[in-house]
Amino acid sequence: MRAGPSTGPGAFRARPRPRWSDPTVWLRLAALAVIAAMPLVVPSFQATDLAIKIAIFGTLVASYDVVIGYTGIVSFGHAMYFGFGAYAVALCLGRFGAPTYGNLLLGFVIGAAVSALVAGLIGAFSLRVKAIFFAMITLAFAEFAGILAVQWSALTGGEDGLSPKLPGVFAVAYDGGRLLGVPVTGKLVTYYAVLVLCTALFLLMARFVVSPLGRALQAIRDNELRAEALGVPTFVLQIVSSTFASMVAATAGGAYLIWVRYVNPESALGVPVMLDVLLMVIIGGIGTLWGGLIGAAVLLTARLVLPDLRGLAVLLGGSEVAQRLTARWLLIFGILFIVVVFFFPRGVLGTAREALRRRPGRVPGDRS
Amino acid sequence: MKRAAPALALVALALSPLLGMEPRVYLTLTVAGLAMGMLIFLVASGLTLIFGLMDVLNFAHGALFSWGAYAGFSAVVLLNGWTGWAESPSVLLNALSLLAALAAAVLVALALGVVLERVIIKPVYGQHMFQILITLGATIVLEELIRIVWGPNDQVMPVPMSVQGSWDVADVIVLRVPVIAIGLGLAVYAGMLALLHRTRVGLIVRAGVESGEMVQVMGHNIHRYFTAVFALGSALAAVGGLMWAVFRQSVSPAMGGEQLIFAFIVVIIGGLGSVTGSLVGALMVGLSYNYVAFLFPKTALGVNMALMVLVLLVRPTGLFGAAR
Amino acid sequence: MSEVVLEVDGVHTYIGQHHILQGVSLEARRDAVTVLMGRNGAGKTTTMRTIIGLLHPARGGVRVEGRAVDRMAPYEIARLGVGFVPEGQGIFATLTVDENLRVAMHRDDTEHRERLRRMLALFPDLDRFRHASAGTLSGGQKQMLAIARAFVNPQRLLLIDEPSKGLAPIMVEHLIAALRAVKHETTVLLVEQNFAMAEVLADRFFLIDDGRTVREGPMAALVADAGLKQRYLGI
Repeated sequence: MRAGPSTGPGAFRARPRPRWSDPTVWLRLAALAVIAAMPLVVPSFQATDLAIKIAIFGTLVASYDVVIGYTGIVSFGHAMYFGFGAYAVALCLGRFGAPTYGNLLLGFVIGAAVSALVAGLIGAFSLRVKAIFFAMITLAFAEFAGILAVQWSALTGGEDGLSPKLPGVFAVAYDGGRLLGVPVTGKLVTYYAVLVLCTALFLLMARFVVSPLGRALQAIRDNELRAEALGVPTFVLQIVSSTFASMVAATAGGAYLIWVRYVNPESALGVPVMLDVLLMVIIGGIGTLWGGLIGAAVLLTARLVLPDLRGLAVLLGGSEVAQRLTARWLLIFGILFIVVVFFFPRGVLGTAREALRRRPGRVPGDRS
Repeated sequence: MKRAAPALALVALALSPLLGMEPRVYLTLTVAGLAMGMLIFLVASGLTLIFGLMDVLNFAHGALFSWGAYAGFSAVVLLNGWTGWAESPSVLLNALSLLAALAAAVLVALALGVVLERVIIKPVYGQHMFQILITLGATIVLEELIRIVWGPNDQVMPVPMSVQGSWDVADVIVLRVPVIAIGLGLAVYAGMLALLHRTRVGLIVRAGVESGEMVQVMGHNIHRYFTAVFALGSALAAVGGLMWAVFRQSVSPAMGGEQLIFAFIVVIIGGLGSVTGSLVGALMVGLSYNYVAFLFPKTALGVNMALMVLVLLVRPTGLFGAAR
Repeated sequence: MSEVVLEVDGVHTYIGQHHILQGVSLEARRDAVTVLMGRNGAGKTTTMRTIIGLLHPARGGVRVEGRAVDRMAPYEIARLGVGFVPEGQGIFATLTVDENLRVAMHRDDTEHRERLRRMLALFPDLDRFRHASAGTLSGGQKQMLAIARAFVNPQRLLLIDEPSKGLAPIMVEHLIAALRAVKHETTVLLVEQNFAMAEVLADRFFLIDDGRTVREGPMAALVADAGLKQRYLGI
């Protein structure tokens, strides 16, 4: 159960440009098309909400995959940066008078900057210690951030959170006519803005992991001592990587905020978010980047559907225990978690890639 | 001298607030701080041995804390229902009911610990990430099971009468529960030291903390020791949970998770694999939390974080940790 | 010829993706000292670790007194009477000398305690520092402790990996004397880069290069063959 793709003879070869005959490129375009078409084709708000959340969380999970799958650092603080981004945008929009585009942009910038700073600091003094310590330290920080958010209510609105208004074309009241028969509301504009943002972030991450920097990080992940012996400045690169990933996470957080228009400690900053991210990255596959999208899709769809499992209680005779069992769908979540980690440690995408790689006729190092 | 430094720092920390507050308040806070420290020590000591010996990141430890509390809770409630021991004014009967609760907590934790280690953790030795994920999953499941069996709401823990209340010592009110907690903690500490330094099993565990590989090469089935240490650690966490429930006079399904973060901080401060380290660290955390909570309420948790960061900068392997 | 105590037969061992041992074969006979020699990185330590069970061969077999051990756990192999003194001694620094010796005992009974006493008598330095922390010992003393530890149990086979590494010449003298004293009690498989030491102690040699056994024979033959020494040992 090793995390991430194995090194092979092709590991350090430059990645071939995506060819149009490459099926995975088509798959990704298809996914993008589906999400883009959602609000125009499917009238249900739940569906569009689900679709864009898959995009947002997929991006967050992919950024986490950069840290855990490509750099090989186990961190628990990642959801924290998502929260920073969300809060930064919310604060810039809400606390300094009427919301403007400038404030919106400022919020994203501040969120990314703060996350980069925190990630850099944590990395600087924690990455030198054993991996166990690092994981625990990031957990401590994440908990601390959560508690801070709750207690510093003057700034963060405490447990109630913040509900800022969005400017101009994103505002609820905006009316921009019709597009393909669908009214262009602020929500619709926000939808596409978020989608564009997430796509851009994904492309950025994809570029990052195949760049020389990304390749060096994978070398570090696979064998830190060997990489150091080869002269790779492991410490610096690890910090760069986690800083980069934290900034992406923060931006995803900002995107989340402008879609949901609400942020509070539990939804954006807390351990529940981190657990979700962990489960999503496992389901999708560690070290696959795009697996984040799959993981997000599976988990969020399940979340939508599973609570209705309560209906099963009736089938089981409606006894108290049966009712409690189905009401506590989190239990099923937890069991699923364990099962997935045990039997599918490589996740959906990881297992698929592994299967494809074993097929005869494949050139080693051909990573599609 | 170097070894004594952390202990001296602890004493200095303990005495410092005398400068800023009146003795009576100081005494109350110190007792509370020591008691809290002892409870955290119970959880942290097991965790540090598990980390040190098995190199396992056990995030399910908090769930064992909760299960210990609930097992004890049920024991007391049941016993009370039959015999009314907890409500009786007799010290002996009260003590017996507490002992029953302790026994229940320990037994349940031992069983759970063995099952967890063999089924959940053994398959993922050496793979930290999967250990984290799997023990997190186990925590979710265990916490949810508590909600299913005992209900999701906080419940009142019946505390035996002679344990409640306080003593009047030279005009100072000293609560009983914290003092009992401190006594229990010291007893556990002494017991653990004796176990580690005077028994063959303890010897092998200490050697294993340094190098599991060498211990195997010497002909010992280290996996049996893993299971034993894990079970012991779980039992300790359970006792901690029970005492916490008595302290707070309540049980809640999420109680374990909240305490786990303190335990982690203490393990980092004290050093992996060091029981003494986790004692000193736990007392530091308990004391500083209580002093700061009194003086500057909002920053209490922040102080512990700062403490952890400080130790990491000065001695990354922890105050008593072996450089590895 | 005396009977074969250890047989390593065409062993291939991988560490991760790396094919470290690509066909190592050797044998050690009773009451003789066999030395395994080769350049740095040739696979000597990996061979030792495979024999003691810390690594499992992907192909090939390891037999101790006829019994296949390649699927066994290290502790099981140790209990068969195979001692291992790793490179760097593997001393428990936070334990005392006495505790180090006691940990090594397979069983805490009279026989083992008697052997422990014998070891302390044989190595007076260890007796003197009996209750001192093992981490405070000098390099030479640590090596003595490592060997003494191995002999706390009755051994059929003793694996020693580069005992002279990092020791001052005078300590190497003491080491040779110590090994000579215990040599007749058991079969020894020695990995040693110090040729002078190997020459004095060993009866047979096996040369490995690039994870493969390339030559074997009586030690005298290797001593006499300058070409072989140059080619595979660089001396």
